[in-house]
Amino acid sequence: MTEEKELIDRLSRGDIAAFRELVETYKKKMYYFVLDMVGDPADAEDVSQVVFLKAFRSFKTFKRDAKLGSWLYRIAYNASIDHLRRRSLAPQAVEDTILDASSGGFSDSPSSQNPAQAAENSLLQARIEKALEKVSSQERAVFLLRHYNELMLNEIAETMQISIGSVKSYLFRCIRKLQKELDIPRTPAPREVNNESL
Amino acid sequence: MKACKKCRGLLVQAHYGELESKDKIFFENHLASCPACAAEFKAVTGTLKTMDRKARPEPGQEFWEGYWDRLSRRMEKEDAAMETSPPSAGKRLGRIFGLSPRWVFQAAAALVLVVLGVFIGRTISPPHQTPVDVAQQTAPLGPGESDPVLRARDYIDRSKPVLLALVNYDPASEDSYALDLPLQKRISQELVSRAGALKSDLKEPAQRRLRELVTDLETVLLQIANLETENDLEAVEFVKQGVENGGLLLKINLSEMSGDLSGTGREQAPVKSPSQKTKI
Repeated sequence: MTEEKELIDRLSRGDIAAFRELVETYKKKMYYFVLDMVGDPADAEDVSQVVFLKAFRSFKTFKRDAKLGSWLYRIAYNASIDHLRRRSLAPQAVEDTILDASSGGFSDSPSSQNPAQAAENSLLQARIEKALEKVSSQERAVFLLRHYNELMLNEIAETMQISIGSVKSYLFRCIRKLQKELDIPRTPAPREVNNESL
Repeated sequence: MKACKKCRGLLVQAHYGELESKDKIFFENHLASCPACAAEFKAVTGTLKTMDRKARPEPGQEFWEGYWDRLSRRMEKEDAAMETSPPSAGKRLGRIFGLSPRWVFQAAAALVLVVLGVFIGRTISPPHQTPVDVAQQTAPLGPGESDPVLRARDYIDRSKPVLLALVNYDPASEDSYALDLPLQKRISQELVSRAGALKSDLKEPAQRRLRELVTDLETVLLQIANLETENDLEAVEFVKQGVENGGLLLKINLSEMSGDLSGTGREQAPVKSPSQKTKI
């Protein structure tokens, strides 16, 4: 935390070395978050760079009591939404993403799998991407921040500038939609639960 | 059931280990006693485990190593472009007025929005097409220009088919195009434009009922003139109800029967029937 404060002090003085430190610390987080938001690796690099440039140029708007990470994620969320608006499309077609991804290599590399496994994995990735496309951008962002970027609910609330209640609501709705899209059976809602089961 | 609701509200937090100790105890106890909630929790966990398998293309070590270089080059390039480009209008204005460029941009944006608003407003509803403004224009006088009663009769005669078309229109039995709304709108607009002059000419005490009738008609015609042309059935129904509730057609019939519309108002005093007395 003290390190972060020092970094903030240096950044507020326009220290370029501090900016590089910021970039090195957060580049992967920003890149992957933006990638999950916009869907295309080339766009993800471009938008993640925009995030850092905006952060550097508008550092005076950063509130000292906020967390650097939350602030950057906020910029990344806004930049991604702007990008998607400009592109006027949903994230890149799932099939293309999968093809591109397989050429770049998955974390669970298809090359190490037999063809059946690779095909199964591709299908699963397509289903996941498709499921994520079905949720709203806010639900998606909340889910990505919690599930893949491991932000706590209160940090997400700070990042998205919404209440914790809204974060919980978005997250729950998102998981429900994902459950539906991934065709994972769920039990009936509480009102349908009979008393004997309680 | 209440406990189940509470439990399901905690499912996601429970999965991510974000429950407070009190909630955690409740959640665990409830799950142990409620198979339905336990199954729900399992399903949520299953979904999230599936989502864990989401793969991301790893751009490789080279990409990460060159990230800063590419970013700093871009920054330099953008900075250079900003330096070489002539100062923006905002900066120039800011210098002139001693304001920060941010304020100048905000003021300019506000101005642009106002201008845009006026432009859009005028484009969407040009002033010459709005019945209210039309009414303010010098409207051409109808037949019998010198005699307001004759003009009133013409006014009512022309209004009546419009009202009848609307009242007899039944969207359940006819398609929406059966009502020639553009035509009714046009007639209504024209009639509304004449109402002002006509009302001011109907100034004799004996012409009071006619003046009131013209006023009532003007209100309904104005509503018709403002209807959307494309299947605005809800609004049509609203105006239709207004006509029916206001008993406008009955008033017209009474005026015709009572002789308000025969001859000139100045020459002939209206004959009041008992029904008129109660109705108007």
